[in-house]
Amino acid sequence: MEAMRGVSISLEEGRKIALVGPNGAGKSTLMLMFNGILRPTSGEVLFHGQSLRYDPASLRELRRKVGMVFQNSDDQIFAPTVYQDVAFGPVNLGFPEEKVKRYVGYALAYVGLCGYERRPPHHLSGGEKKRVAIAGILAMEPEVIVLDEPTSNLDPASSEEIMDMLDELKCGGKTIIISTHDVELAYRWADEVILMEGGRILKRGTGQEVFGDPGLINKARLKLPIVVDIYRELVSRGLLSDSNPPRNVLELTDLVESRNRGTISRGTTGKIHIADVDKVGPDEINSILEGAHISYAGAMGTNAKALAERAGIILDFTYGVIDKCILKSLSGKDSLIMTSGGMVDRSVKRIQTYCEESGAKIEVVKLSSLEGPDVNPDRR
Amino acid sequence: MHDLLDDYTHSNALINTSPRLKLLLGLGAMLICISSATPIAPLFIAITMSLITVGIAKIPGRFYCTLLLIPLSFALLSSGVVAFMHGGGSQLFAMNLFGFMFEIRDDGANLALLLIARTFGGMCSLFFISLTTPMMEIFSVLKSLGLPDFLVDLSMLMYRYIFVFIDQAHLIHNAQVMRLGDAGIKNTLNSHAMLSGVLFLRAWEQGERLIVAMDARCYDGKLVLMEQGAKAKPRAIFAVVGYLVVVEAIVFLTKDIQLL
Repeated sequence: MEAMRGVSISLEEGRKIALVGPNGAGKSTLMLMFNGILRPTSGEVLFHGQSLRYDPASLRELRRKVGMVFQNSDDQIFAPTVYQDVAFGPVNLGFPEEKVKRYVGYALAYVGLCGYERRPPHHLSGGEKKRVAIAGILAMEPEVIVLDEPTSNLDPASSEEIMDMLDELKCGGKTIIISTHDVELAYRWADEVILMEGGRILKRGTGQEVFGDPGLINKARLKLPIVVDIYRELVSRGLLSDSNPPRNVLELTDLVESRNRGTISRGTTGKIHIADVDKVGPDEINSILEGAHISYAGAMGTNAKALAERAGIILDFTYGVIDKCILKSLSGKDSLIMTSGGMVDRSVKRIQTYCEESGAKIEVVKLSSLEGPDVNPDRR
Repeated sequence: MHDLLDDYTHSNALINTSPRLKLLLGLGAMLICISSATPIAPLFIAITMSLITVGIAKIPGRFYCTLLLIPLSFALLSSGVVAFMHGGGSQLFAMNLFGFMFEIRDDGANLALLLIARTFGGMCSLFFISLTTPMMEIFSVLKSLGLPDFLVDLSMLMYRYIFVFIDQAHLIHNAQVMRLGDAGIKNTLNSHAMLSGVLFLRAWEQGERLIVAMDARCYDGKLVLMEQGAKAKPRAIFAVVGYLVVVEAIVFLTKDIQLL
């Protein structure tokens, strides 16, 4: 039986790519070709410009660089304890024992499962199993991570945490490819969306390009993301002018506001505090929270979330944190973002870009030193 | 959803003691049970092992008792048969059933008693091992004792998938009961046959997926084992050896005592 025909795509390094399509569109088939588990009957697969070879040695090399996380975690986690499962890849790559331990420790810390080493998989929740599966791939240090339906069977909070983790990985320079039929997730998360149906590629492009064509989406047995749907209805009532659909709630509210008032609010905007949890301890964060009239707190990344839990901070936002904080700032509320590593600068940059594009002024306070807040007024 | 032996094992209070020591205690007691000529030592082992399992390892007493009922019922049945079969000694009990004489004599009764005591003591020792030592630790001890890798690896994979298939069997069973698959004996048998068949096919498919999953992660014939559990403390070693010596002494001192 033919699962795919006439599929020809090239995927760029360091991007977040979502394969979107209904059941039986050929997403999984395509993904299984990425690391040589399936071999196309005609045509070829290239990685770094080189055609894949299917001899055992080349396949090993490929599978180390292209890690695959299966849809069903029980298919993937076959070792009887978490440690053994995560160590499986490194051990088979022939790493010495000390290196295996280090890699496993690093991978488990990354997915936030330190201390779970001796647990058997049947004592884990669905979200924890997915994390173990991802850790098992991370321990092999792949360049590309392919995830088949990473959020199916997970509750909303677990899904968001997994997607947040994938964002973090992408920031660390990895290429992430997921398949999904969750249009909301694909639209919000992906840099690039590839729409598949019946073993063919219908369209590829940014989320706005792909989901800007309702006919095509209908044909693929999907539905429009709610933001796009609302936007289209507002356009058809003449409340907004037709251009590119907004990417998220923030852009949609901005569009509506600027149409209504002619401009985006110039009232007092709230401050956004950004705390680097590698440098600021829980006590400082708690004292900031008490002192600075912060109404909302959000955390990005596993470290920050773990710290928030330790410090007993109730998080208002655990996903889409930056956008949410900008939204709150525009309505005059102060907020705090807890995050770490490269995501600190990324948050600052994201807020700056937003300010430049919209003309709003949002004060960003970066808390990184232990002595106290490093106030940087009128940072744009 | 399920009440598994394994769940209790992972939450017992002795989980952080040396697996080798626990195995030594359990296996040692078991061997002594089998070698004992009288029921006294095995009964002593049964009582002390139960006390250790419930008192020190903190396994819930209720659960432990229901667990013991299973082997005990078997032991009672079979020793009943043994008691009637063995002649010799004075007659203790007799009855006439449809013209056949059934009688219990001294030797048979003694043997039956010994059988129950041994089973009981042995089961208590076995439950001590299985309720305090996670399978993984037993595997790593086996490996360090020189069992071939492929046997240990295979057992580990089997152990892992037992739980996947328990879940599957449970789900299939629920699906059958939901559609009245348990109405009447004929239906029940039929459902059971179907469940077994489907489970076999699922196991086969899971096996194929397992190979794909292992290949996708560069399988090269190696599975790691967890490190060995905690090292034994001198005090614990002393206690275990002391216990075994005491039990062996009981065996020796009571070897000529006849209960009946």
